[in-house]
Amino acid sequence: MVKYALRRLWQSLVTVLIVLTLVFLLMRLLPIEGYFADNYDKMTPEQREAVLDSMGLLDPWYVQLQRFYGDLLRGDLGTSVVYRPNVAISEIIAIKIPYSVRFGLAAIVISLVSGLAMGVRQARDKGRLWDKTWTGYIVFINAVPPAVYLLFIQLYVTQITRLPILYRRDNPVSWILPAISMSLGGIAGYAMWMRRYMVDELNKDYIRLAKAKGMSNKAIMVKHVMRNAFVPMAQYLPTSVLLTISGSIYIESLYSIPGMGGLLVDAIQRQDNPLVQALVLIFSTLGIFGLFLGDVLMAVFDPRIKLEKQGGSR
Amino acid sequence: MKKVLPVLLLCALFLAGCAAPQATQTAATARPSADFKTVYAGELTTLNYLVTGTTVEQEVAANGIDGLIEYDNLGILKSSLASSWEVSKDGLTWIFRLRKGVKWITWEGKEYAEVVAQDWVDALKYSFNPKNASKTANIAYEALKNGAKYYKGEITDFGQVGVKTSDKYTLQYTLEKPIPYFLTMLSYVSFLPVNGKFLNEVGAKFGTDNKNILYNGAYIMSVFEPQNMRVLVKNEKYWDAGNVHIKKLEYKYNKEASTLAPVLFLRGDISGTGIPTASLDEWMKDPAKKAMVHPATTSFYSYFYAFNFDPKFDAQYEPDNWKIVVNNANFRKSIFYALDRKAAMITAEPYAPERRLSNTITPKTFVTNAGKDYTEMGPLAAIVARDSFNKTQALAFKDKALAELKGKAKFPVKMPMPYRSDLSDWSNRAQVVEQQLEGLLGKDFIDIIPVGYPATNFLGVTRRSGVYAIQECNWGPDYADPETYTDPFFPGGTYNWPEKATGYIEANGKGKYENMVTAAKAEVVDMTKRSNLFAEAEAFLINEAFLIPYAVGGGGYVATKLEPFTYPYAPFGMSELKFKGQIVMDKPMDSAAYDVAYKKWQQDRVAALQKAATSTK
Amino acid sequence: MMSANERSALQAIEDQSLFTFAEYDEQAAERTGYSNYSYWGSTVRVFLKNKVAVALLLVMMSLLIFTIVQPLLPGQKSPTKIHNDPQTGIQIRNHKPGGEFWFGTNSIGQDLWARIWSGTRTSLLIALLVGIWEVLFGIVFGALWGYVRQLDALITEVYNVVSNVPNTILMMLLAYIMRPSFQTMVIAMCATGWLGMARFVRNQIIIIRDREYNLASRCLGTPTSRIITKNLLPYLVSVIVMRIALSIPGTIGWEVFLTYIGLGLPIHIPSLGNLVNEGRAAMMSPSLRYQLIFPAVVLSIITISFYIMGNAFADASDPRNHF
Repeated sequence: MVKYALRRLWQSLVTVLIVLTLVFLLMRLLPIEGYFADNYDKMTPEQREAVLDSMGLLDPWYVQLQRFYGDLLRGDLGTSVVYRPNVAISEIIAIKIPYSVRFGLAAIVISLVSGLAMGVRQARDKGRLWDKTWTGYIVFINAVPPAVYLLFIQLYVTQITRLPILYRRDNPVSWILPAISMSLGGIAGYAMWMRRYMVDELNKDYIRLAKAKGMSNKAIMVKHVMRNAFVPMAQYLPTSVLLTISGSIYIESLYSIPGMGGLLVDAIQRQDNPLVQALVLIFSTLGIFGLFLGDVLMAVFDPRIKLEKQGGSR
Repeated sequence: MKKVLPVLLLCALFLAGCAAPQATQTAATARPSADFKTVYAGELTTLNYLVTGTTVEQEVAANGIDGLIEYDNLGILKSSLASSWEVSKDGLTWIFRLRKGVKWITWEGKEYAEVVAQDWVDALKYSFNPKNASKTANIAYEALKNGAKYYKGEITDFGQVGVKTSDKYTLQYTLEKPIPYFLTMLSYVSFLPVNGKFLNEVGAKFGTDNKNILYNGAYIMSVFEPQNMRVLVKNEKYWDAGNVHIKKLEYKYNKEASTLAPVLFLRGDISGTGIPTASLDEWMKDPAKKAMVHPATTSFYSYFYAFNFDPKFDAQYEPDNWKIVVNNANFRKSIFYALDRKAAMITAEPYAPERRLSNTITPKTFVTNAGKDYTEMGPLAAIVARDSFNKTQALAFKDKALAELKGKAKFPVKMPMPYRSDLSDWSNRAQVVEQQLEGLLGKDFIDIIPVGYPATNFLGVTRRSGVYAIQECNWGPDYADPETYTDPFFPGGTYNWPEKATGYIEANGKGKYENMVTAAKAEVVDMTKRSNLFAEAEAFLINEAFLIPYAVGGGGYVATKLEPFTYPYAPFGMSELKFKGQIVMDKPMDSAAYDVAYKKWQQDRVAALQKAATSTK
Repeated sequence: MMSANERSALQAIEDQSLFTFAEYDEQAAERTGYSNYSYWGSTVRVFLKNKVAVALLLVMMSLLIFTIVQPLLPGQKSPTKIHNDPQTGIQIRNHKPGGEFWFGTNSIGQDLWARIWSGTRTSLLIALLVGIWEVLFGIVFGALWGYVRQLDALITEVYNVVSNVPNTILMMLLAYIMRPSFQTMVIAMCATGWLGMARFVRNQIIIIRDREYNLASRCLGTPTSRIITKNLLPYLVSVIVMRIALSIPGTIGWEVFLTYIGLGLPIHIPSLGNLVNEGRAAMMSPSLRYQLIFPAVVLSIITISFYIMGNAFADASDPRNHF
């Protein structure tokens, strides 16, 4: 296992380097005018050159790349040039990450607990009232675009319950609605897939044997079905947790939460290259690491899964 | 529109040789006002006012830093940090004497240093250094002696640039050539002061947040949390504290501000909101809501539909064919008279669309000389009096064009018309204009092809590259003189290259428009004559249908508790962003009361302008 | 002494008429076990038993047929034509549903009824094209990735690189280079859409690739392609079908998101994404809500139908449910 882990780690490093270089080059395919917001017409050619120079964009691309990696090795994530000029990127991100992580983790906990519980209950009561109503919820969440139902919730739930519309740090009550809204999609997702996997498991022969053996339904659910049904979902768990730092673009826009959601999209649209590169570095590292952890978690849950070649097997 | 008299050009006219009005500041007492709360979607990237060109960021400078002059709510230029000034007879040297005892304040409200003339020199030294990448430096360095040379590196001694201090409180500007409207340029960010010592201390961190900048204006930014909120509080040590009524300005960031603002306003969380076009019907039909709504003023951004005289678009749209037809005046005029501008405007302003339509490129009340508004001068008066939309004329010109172009051009003429596909208003308008023009002139005559582009580098890919036949363009003024609205069409501009039109070349090898504008620019003594020459040039462009003037910006409706007509009024620059002088009332004003207030404001303004004009005699 | 039962049994054995010789019948010897069980046949039969799913299938089919047929019906208006009031020459803006305009008009006077059907057609076409690509490319890719160990390292690399380059950059570049259009949208979505399916299939395959029956197949020398198509994929049919069923509404939802951040189809090509976003702006005014409700209802019908059909089909494709 250790050898496998080390191999994956090395592979991940290579991947991150490839991704970073690719993103670096792609960003430079975007037009020069994009660096000037709307002021392009009003500036003289000398001024435009001065602006590009201050962003380090006049050097040939390999020089710029070298500079980027050089800074990175020294632990410097760079300074933003458009989003907040002359401010260290680590500073920008450090302020925002706690917000996204807190809300993201809260949302995951809520969705996991509620979603899995619902999915189990649905599988158990398959075809009956509980299954049907909860299916209705799942379908609704999947059918209506989040942009619509989130706005709807924000406007009408706050009207009825008098919860505050916008998030404020000093007002804990204003944290509730965004956290719950964020978890709605997750609940539906976990419930739906849990139900599907559990229904598949319940059909298997060994369950029939367990019933014939005289095991109670509850014991069967807990000891056999749930564990097996959960295996495919374990894959995604580490990635979800790690990527909470990317925030939810919809929720944070609607509730004025100064988190990371939308930061990447903003940075790309404004062509703030150092910020984009730093963010891609962080997200890709976490994403790749999450993929690896997910594989490991799957193998932990299901001993039949062998990630690496064993002697004798093909 | 009423004829009004801004003192801008009058002042310049009478200042040649005489001293400016003395700064008589009556000690005003602050009036009671509630706090101002709002939500916003465009976040500031920096507070460094010496570098940024974005309006949102200049708002901080407008409220936190005072310059040499300012405008009052009637649009009269008044002294701010300069208590008096004079200009030499040749118009090249301006001398400003500063008000004494004004202090630079830190974000915590502590005094840092006194404001002195050297601060203006330090500011220019900073912005003229290309390494600092100032986006607005060109306004200053093109005006001052040796400014451009220093910026390009041809001179390395800053002492040779036309700005210096004669003593601690006296500032002197030397210009490259006489600029009659120089005073009006001083209200812009390019000419604001900065404390040199502080700038050196904080270095590259200047303006990165509210702590790394000094204030000498009406407000201090006490809280700055990007993507969250910012708070400005009244500067109690401000030299003109009596005229600052709102004590606190609270801004909360929300990406969905335009959608949520009306709801927040109705719940009393914010002081004012714009009414989105889609909801306007709703608000006007509900009597309770209607009572809170009044029209918003239009701006001085000018919108027009330009015909491209140097087409570089794709072969599938037949650019050569377009080049032939666009040089035929009757063809252009047929489209000029066929455009139903009101129908197009309804996509953005469903109520009272006429308010925003403009028959000229230069908006009304931008500039006035000797009692006459610029748009009433010379041939422009006739243009302003009529609406360009005229079916019979359009069809008459169509017939003439067909007769003249028979055999030379292919019909229908393909006309690619770019628009931004991520803007729903513009997308809608493109469809309306296409169907309206084709419906009137016939699909056998023209084939307008709306082409959608993403926001990324839209202007670079379309207008600047000449990849259009007809396109909706806009231009905002850079200074208070009609010359600013000639910049897009003068050779070197990147709008529609009228100099490439055949049939207008004069004896000296240059286009007629270019010659007219050059002559106008040369007139720096008689302002009325100058305006008249510009008016003739503009009328020429319009009458020969080089473009179709469309509209001015701004407009729409707002529901707000801010008392109208209390903010410093000016045709360009940052004055409108200032909160000095504004008041937050208990209740919003409705349209009827607004109209009354508007009429009174116009009368006061006329009176004030006349007074200012006569007092300098 | 024998019991009565034994006596009657003995008598039966002695009774010759009860017995006949068992002849050797060559034909009969050749006959092997026969059952008329067909996997897909049974799947379809079980599926059809689910009344709700069948009903929704009919709904979807009629929706599909209607979107194709609608322009050919008499009296239909063009989705892009702007309607002007004949007296004033001004656009008929925001007209409530009824009379001449069955679904009302939008803010510049275009017929919403025609726009919704045209938009549904466009969105379904995009979703279908992307879905087909996802299935073909994603499943094949994912299966190879999961099963062939030698490829695992390489493909994980490719997957990681492609999935970690932000979608937004790719979308922005594509929109900038090729300009927003139908083709750009399809290409952009296909370029990144297959990732989810590939990873999903790969995970499922990892779970079952070393089960005993697969080891047995490998021992027997079965070629990889046959193992994948006969051993692995059929096992996964139910979950794969679920995924396919949701990819169609998923693509439409993704289109809504792209339009939200400004990278969607140009507005003069109606699509459900555009219509939902336009309607969202009008959501605040009760009298204009119909502009949001109609596209949202159509979108919901599509999603609900595919979800329920997908679920029902997944249930039906599990052989343990066949009888």
